[in-house]
Amino acid sequence: MRVWHYDGVSALRRAPELVAEGDAFVLVERDRSEGPYRFADLVARDTVDGDAIYGLKGSSGWRIGFPGGVPADLSALLPSPTRYGGFIDRIGLWPAAALCAMLATIAVAAFLMTPALVARAVPRSVERKLGDMMAGDFGDRACAGPNGPQALAALVARIDPGDPDARVSVVNLPIVNAVTLPGGRIVLFDGLIKAAASPDEVAGVIAHELGHVRHRDVLESLLRQLGLSVLLGGLDGHVGGYTNALLASAYSRDAEARADGYAIDALAQAHISPLPTARFFKRLAAGEDGGGIGRLTAYLSTHPMSQDRAARFIAAAKQHHDDRPVLNADQWGALRDICSTDPNARAPGLRF
Amino acid sequence: MRDSSGTKAFAFTGDWREFAPIAFTNLLLSIVTLGVYLFWARTRERRYLWSRTRFIDDRLEWTGTGRELMVGYGLAMLIFVIPFGFINLVVLNSAVMRGHEGLAGLIGLALYLAFFFLTGVAIFRALRYRLSRTLWHGIRGGSDTFGLAFGWSYLWKSVLGSFSLGLLVPWTMTSLWNERWGEMSFGPYRFEANARAAPVFVRFLLFYLAPVVFVFAVIALAVLGVVAGGLGSWRSLPAGGAAPFVLFAVVAGFYVLFFVVLGLIALVYYAAYFREAVGALRLGDLDFAFTATTRDWIALFAGNIALVVGTLGIGQIFVGYRNWSFFIRHMHAYGEIDLASLTQSTTRRPGQGEGLLDAFDIGAI
Repeated sequence: MRVWHYDGVSALRRAPELVAEGDAFVLVERDRSEGPYRFADLVARDTVDGDAIYGLKGSSGWRIGFPGGVPADLSALLPSPTRYGGFIDRIGLWPAAALCAMLATIAVAAFLMTPALVARAVPRSVERKLGDMMAGDFGDRACAGPNGPQALAALVARIDPGDPDARVSVVNLPIVNAVTLPGGRIVLFDGLIKAAASPDEVAGVIAHELGHVRHRDVLESLLRQLGLSVLLGGLDGHVGGYTNALLASAYSRDAEARADGYAIDALAQAHISPLPTARFFKRLAAGEDGGGIGRLTAYLSTHPMSQDRAARFIAAAKQHHDDRPVLNADQWGALRDICSTDPNARAPGLRF
Repeated sequence: MRDSSGTKAFAFTGDWREFAPIAFTNLLLSIVTLGVYLFWARTRERRYLWSRTRFIDDRLEWTGTGRELMVGYGLAMLIFVIPFGFINLVVLNSAVMRGHEGLAGLIGLALYLAFFFLTGVAIFRALRYRLSRTLWHGIRGGSDTFGLAFGWSYLWKSVLGSFSLGLLVPWTMTSLWNERWGEMSFGPYRFEANARAAPVFVRFLLFYLAPVVFVFAVIALAVLGVVAGGLGSWRSLPAGGAAPFVLFAVVAGFYVLFFVVLGLIALVYYAAYFREAVGALRLGDLDFAFTATTRDWIALFAGNIALVVGTLGIGQIFVGYRNWSFFIRHMHAYGEIDLASLTQSTTRRPGQGEGLLDAFDIGAI
């Protein structure tokens, strides 16, 4: 059987006779004989112009080519060619594609679910430590004007009785937003207190944030944010404290709806009317707080607003009776001025 | 002994209909593997393109593997991209936050220079990898060096190029071309390259000065417009609220025109540069030449853009094919090769593929 041959040492193209002897062969050309080589050591290369081409294991340039393809009597001895590579050739293109598509779906789903699973697995104590660490960013800004903290504590005690761990503070920043840190720390920005028309509105917002605390949405959102930034090559140099990540982390719509559900239950048990909260949401959605669009977008960007949300609170009001305000006028006044009457609260200013 | 002066030494015999099944299955497998198959896809594409490329009397063969490319990519990520990201994110940020702006500036500068160095190394190693995986008559190419010297060279020539306000760019490009090809070999023969900057400098000036000319033209047009406006011809323009849109359209039009024109002029230069660069290449008794004119390059790019846009992006899978066939169609070689003395390369065969280049997203050659 005549083949063409490169020995991988010189560029001369040879035309030896391939003489098979069992599972091996020699290449014989006039006065020269190469081999023996084992058929099993051959590596199939791509067929070019009908020539079946084989390389040799461990040699980079050694080739033999069968003009017009593999002769029938040798085809059983010769290895089969690779086409797509590796396992795809073994199981076939379409089964491999289907298998890979399945694995890819699982991988994507696992990636999307990981934050929730990891968040559930983190012990409360670790989450609390993390929250304390991150609270450092706000620590020196917590306002404590005369009677303000007491009013705030009274408000929290009404919504969330019997939970000594709920730690709510107001920070002197002119942003209409509230942030929940890991470990149950809730930070209200002074801008939100100023934008609220009544303490019941603040109560609704706090109840909503407490919902996030109960469902451990905060850690999940943080982890998701972290995972995304790593995955999407988050090498753009924006690790200016954790606050950015927190402010940017929007919860999923499901998490928002769950937190609203929690807030509605909490308000009902505390006999606080949900209607002011609904009004507050509506005002935010319509941009009527008078503080300008810039201030409003903060809350909206992390708490996607919709008519449905307000409607849910309005509908819940039908079940309510003997509601009473969460704070009296004096308490509300103290809470409203919690930052402006605190000489130690740092002047408003955006650090990030 | 072969003489290639009669017929064309390089020929591409591929057929896009033959390539299409490869391209489409590559696309399919790349999607269902979330991109992991891309390394094997690239390998399959090259195996096809190389095998349809005839040089004198025989085909080229691509012997690289997808695994090599993946390992190269993984190593590049591990050794460079992740540490770089870490320094950039953590060290730089914490330096700035603690008020060490000067230190941060120094680190930033060092990172920037290191990036140039690594880009040079990446370009060198990609070329070396490709030559080491290209087989002709059972013989491969390669290089005995690792590209570190080229990395330094790339670094200081790039810095020098920017210090000279870009005027040295033709010299930088040709001298770096000479340097990297001078380190490459095929079989026992070393490549030689002596590309010169002078023959391409005039075309470079055209590219260099075009923005200046363009700015002057815009100013002149604006002045003319104002003068004409003073004479009352603005009355014919849409009045009132439409004026900002007209202005916007004009500005946008200039913007697009600027980049299209600049892109075309860049091609005018690049066509000349590539002819000079390939024409200055020598391997043993072989001389190379590249004949693509500016018009050919424009046709290639316009065709690629039309292909990709017209197929809503799917045509991208044929761009590599088009580029390779363009490259081979315009490649020429003259001279002789003594097959008996063309023996196997003794260069070390690099273990991994063009990882750095992938990571930095730069083209080879």
